[in-house]
Amino acid sequence: MSKKVVVIGGGIAGIQASLDLADMGYEVHLVERSPSIGGRMAQLDKTFPTNDCSLCILSPKMIMCAGHENVKLHVYSEVVGISGEFPDLKVTIKEKARFVNISKCTGCGDCMAKCPVKIPNEFEEKLSKRKAIYLPFPQAVPRKVTIDAEHCTMIKSGKCGVCKKVCQAGAIEYDQTDSTVVLDASAVVVATGFDLADVTVLSQYGLGICKDVVTSLQLERILSASGPTGGHLVRASDGKEPKKLGFVQCVGSRDEKMYKYCSSVCCMYATKESILAREHVPDINSTIFYMDMRATGKGFQEFVQRAEKNYGVRYIRSRPANVQPANGGSGVLVTYETRGLAGEQVTEEFDMLVLCPALVPSNGAPDLAKLLRIELDDDRFLRTPSLRHPVDSSKKGILVCGFAGAPMDIPDSVAQASGVAARVAELLEGGA
Amino acid sequence: MARIGVFICHCGHNIASTVNVEEVAEFAKTLPEVVVADHNLYSCSEEGLGSIKKSIEKNKLDRVVVAACTPRTHEPLFRKTVELAGINKYQFEFVNIREHVSWIHTKEPKSATEKAKKLVAMGVAKAALLEPQKEGESNVIPTAVVIGGGIAGLTAAASLVAQNIDTHLIEAESRLGGNLADIEVVGPEFRRSEELLDMLTKELKASPKAHVHMSSKVTDVKGFVGNFEVTIDKAGKTEKIPAGAIIVATGAKEWTPDGEYGYGTVPGAITQLDLEKRLAKGERPKRVVFIQCVGSRQPGREYCSRVCCNASLKNALRILESSPDATVSILHRDIMSSGTVSEHIYRLASEKGVRFMRYGLDRPAKVSRTQNGTVVKVFDETLDEDIDLDTDLVVLATPMVAREDSRDVGKLLKVPLDKFGFFLEAHVKLRPVEFATDGIFLCGAARWPGSVNECISQGMAAAAKAAIPIRRGKVVIEAITAQSDIDKCAACGNCVIACPYEAIEIVASEGKRYAKVNETQCKGCGTCVAACPNDAMQQRGFTTRQLGAMIDALVKSAMEETP
Amino acid sequence: MTDFRPTILAFCCNWCSYAGADLAGVSRLQMPPNVHVIRVMCSASVKPEYVLKALSQGIDGVLVLGCHIGDCHYMTGNHRTAKRMPLVQKVLKETGIDEKRMKLDWVSAAEGEKFQKVITDFVQDIQKLGPNPLREVKF
Repeated sequence: MSKKVVVIGGGIAGIQASLDLADMGYEVHLVERSPSIGGRMAQLDKTFPTNDCSLCILSPKMIMCAGHENVKLHVYSEVVGISGEFPDLKVTIKEKARFVNISKCTGCGDCMAKCPVKIPNEFEEKLSKRKAIYLPFPQAVPRKVTIDAEHCTMIKSGKCGVCKKVCQAGAIEYDQTDSTVVLDASAVVVATGFDLADVTVLSQYGLGICKDVVTSLQLERILSASGPTGGHLVRASDGKEPKKLGFVQCVGSRDEKMYKYCSSVCCMYATKESILAREHVPDINSTIFYMDMRATGKGFQEFVQRAEKNYGVRYIRSRPANVQPANGGSGVLVTYETRGLAGEQVTEEFDMLVLCPALVPSNGAPDLAKLLRIELDDDRFLRTPSLRHPVDSSKKGILVCGFAGAPMDIPDSVAQASGVAARVAELLEGGA
Repeated sequence: MARIGVFICHCGHNIASTVNVEEVAEFAKTLPEVVVADHNLYSCSEEGLGSIKKSIEKNKLDRVVVAACTPRTHEPLFRKTVELAGINKYQFEFVNIREHVSWIHTKEPKSATEKAKKLVAMGVAKAALLEPQKEGESNVIPTAVVIGGGIAGLTAAASLVAQNIDTHLIEAESRLGGNLADIEVVGPEFRRSEELLDMLTKELKASPKAHVHMSSKVTDVKGFVGNFEVTIDKAGKTEKIPAGAIIVATGAKEWTPDGEYGYGTVPGAITQLDLEKRLAKGERPKRVVFIQCVGSRQPGREYCSRVCCNASLKNALRILESSPDATVSILHRDIMSSGTVSEHIYRLASEKGVRFMRYGLDRPAKVSRTQNGTVVKVFDETLDEDIDLDTDLVVLATPMVAREDSRDVGKLLKVPLDKFGFFLEAHVKLRPVEFATDGIFLCGAARWPGSVNECISQGMAAAAKAAIPIRRGKVVIEAITAQSDIDKCAACGNCVIACPYEAIEIVASEGKRYAKVNETQCKGCGTCVAACPNDAMQQRGFTTRQLGAMIDALVKSAMEETP
Repeated sequence: MTDFRPTILAFCCNWCSYAGADLAGVSRLQMPPNVHVIRVMCSASVKPEYVLKALSQGIDGVLVLGCHIGDCHYMTGNHRTAKRMPLVQKVLKETGIDEKRMKLDWVSAAEGEKFQKVITDFVQDIQKLGPNPLREVKF
């Protein structure tokens, strides 16, 4: 057996699994489809329950991972084939053309400044634009630019070429093609994380209809000092600071018609965001519309209590029925029913509304599962059928960690990622 | 006399467009102990690194200063480069003139250039005093000790032996399995925990690498990562186990009410574990009322014990499976069935007829005895009404609480506990199964209440962490650790108290008492340095002299200018 | 005194404030060129002597920047810094040095803008105070 391990997904779970495996002495190939590792955690402003800065605690891990002698990063890459059986797997990785010479690019940014093409920025949850040649975010690891072939004028029609002209390191190479790497691997770890469900389809909540309704991840970007508003909490319709902020939990979650399960982390992150909102706008008042307030981890219950006592967060147990635009397009009107037998219908105005949508397995996961010939469970997460080995997928030698397997927060993802490393070691050392 | 080489980076035009790189290089030549100063277009490129290496050899340099971007990205790269050229990697100094100069003073090129010169002067002053360092190494005893034989500890031990690592499992009771041994089935599929525990026990029995000590308690722990000595006591007999890593898996226990909710007085008022034992015996009550959050989520014990809702849901389903006409009610304040599996059990329980009633902390349920049995009175928040529930059993879902001996274990290992008595990990987010003290790890309910699945994952995670130093065979220590000057040290103990890692102790050598830093424990923060009133404690690479020289260099440049 | 260009020293901890300064740079946030950074591993390692030395030798201002309380990479380091620096300011006052020439603040690795503000504000404050009178004194 080659004892090489392929880790698919460069979010916190994939990074942690890679670090532990590399520290154990295994050769790790970390495959990430975007140009930088970091995943969802890089998009967060702060993390509950300690509200420490997400990127501050993520960056050292990203840098350690990329710099580890036993880790080979394959960013802007995808696993496109697998054959064989444990422990002799053959994994085919497609390294997509970036049209940039990695060893020459210094991440200086001159090309980005001059590129004329503007595209909605995925990292900023489409709240701002990026260029066709881009760094996903300023602290990207590796700090090398990528040309998005789909939107680059030069790649598509042979016109422009400005980036090549301004690049002093001579790193632009328009004639690059995708390349393939075939690896002999003994184990594969799937850590593909999650996406936000597209809840524009739930039109009653107004996403995409009311200007001042945003998703929770969009709010994270707005709150981030390095985000599209420079960390100023303002609403889209008029750029004003909201004074009344609302959160709607379980949008599409715990929903018979959409996703039946609970996404696990939203109660906590909504509480976090409401606390952060107060830190940005000292006279803001937040309301969280919820079903059950799930704060079961260490320090979580106190966090929620603090939000209520010290940050004036109003928790209302109710599922809003309807969200309408207010005031000629600024703000929203939320209709909900108050509790108890004497409950009545109330319509309340909010300056801005945040939806906490269902968190679903990453959109690439089902196809990847098919490719790897591993099963999905009824909720389309990667199935882990064994009680004794809960990180094993339905196929020996292929393991699962983090949100790809089930909704979970950062500490649980990190713990499970280390658990996966142990499992790989068990398989490779003991043939268990 | 040092022989310093200074290399100023253009970084393309990222630095050069604002800072006059050639001028800075010329200035650097005038600095004391600088024998060569040059500039590169891209110092980090293969070309740039190559030219630095050549210059080191040609000019017989013994220290290198590079003025370029932030050290946080490329310091390891340059350290490696100079090492290849024969210079000790700790005699390399990085000066930031990009993020800290050229990028933030773009409209003031003259001032930016002057600032860059000052920073280079400071860097050179420090470099002149850098000493070669040897990274310490410590051998690691290739043995692990797991304290606690519940599901987390068993999994950790089984994982370690599967990785061919010698492991000692210390269990205080005479049986393995901890709390799980009293719980017949787990999860919505009612899988038998006995099967799981049997599998684990068999794996341990079958492996020559596993050493299980039953009815044994840990009485002393000495040493540090790689070199622990764990003393255990088994019925009066003492055994010392040398170990490289220790895993704490001591678990937690179910809280029993002190007479609340009729516990102890009203027949049928039992705890969840009591129920588990009864169900295991085959009892199937016809009327059950579960009361959630008994003793938790209230002043004094604010936390949610995470697992109780799921346990009640599971047991409710078990009861209904054998007696579909049983009356089961769950009184709760929130149902904490997070995730996929749990949420489905909640829905299933509701479909099978479990009655969910929401009550408030301000109006808790009342359990009392009647002529015919037991009644539970509760104010249902959804109905805004007092409800009376006649029942056979009242199951009080109480929280998991820290064991009484947690504090003792904490003292033995010098690891901290949180205010509820659960062990405190190194970093809640990114190091959930590690203690701040190297070489000691944590998993399971000793850390926080968790499901079987979570305890297994954490057990494996702790095993992975413990395996790392053991597989490496040695622990390497970055040479930025602290050391005290035995002559200057007054053994006042300030540093001992200041150290966040308890890495310093006062020892005696040839009659002189002084503070000794355990290099393997020291993390190189320098907190002890500032706590030392005598300038005895120094941090390698950040000594008082070095930082003082940097200040002098800045003062010199500043005084030469007109303000 | 608006022409006065102060020379300011800033101690920045590797994990937070130094990284915050880096981010300010990466974000091209402009600020006055008067501040010179000395990198330390933890703000808790900044000895009072360094501050006193710098100010007594004519440096116009000293900044000590660490991680936010609760975020210290070394767990409790910044708690000590928080306790120590106000005492240093007291000593400055007693020795006749304006205690406003030293400032303690917290900047996280994600707070490029805060770093910019801290620097800009402090430079302005020092400009208002004028050159350090000890510039003229040669010991």
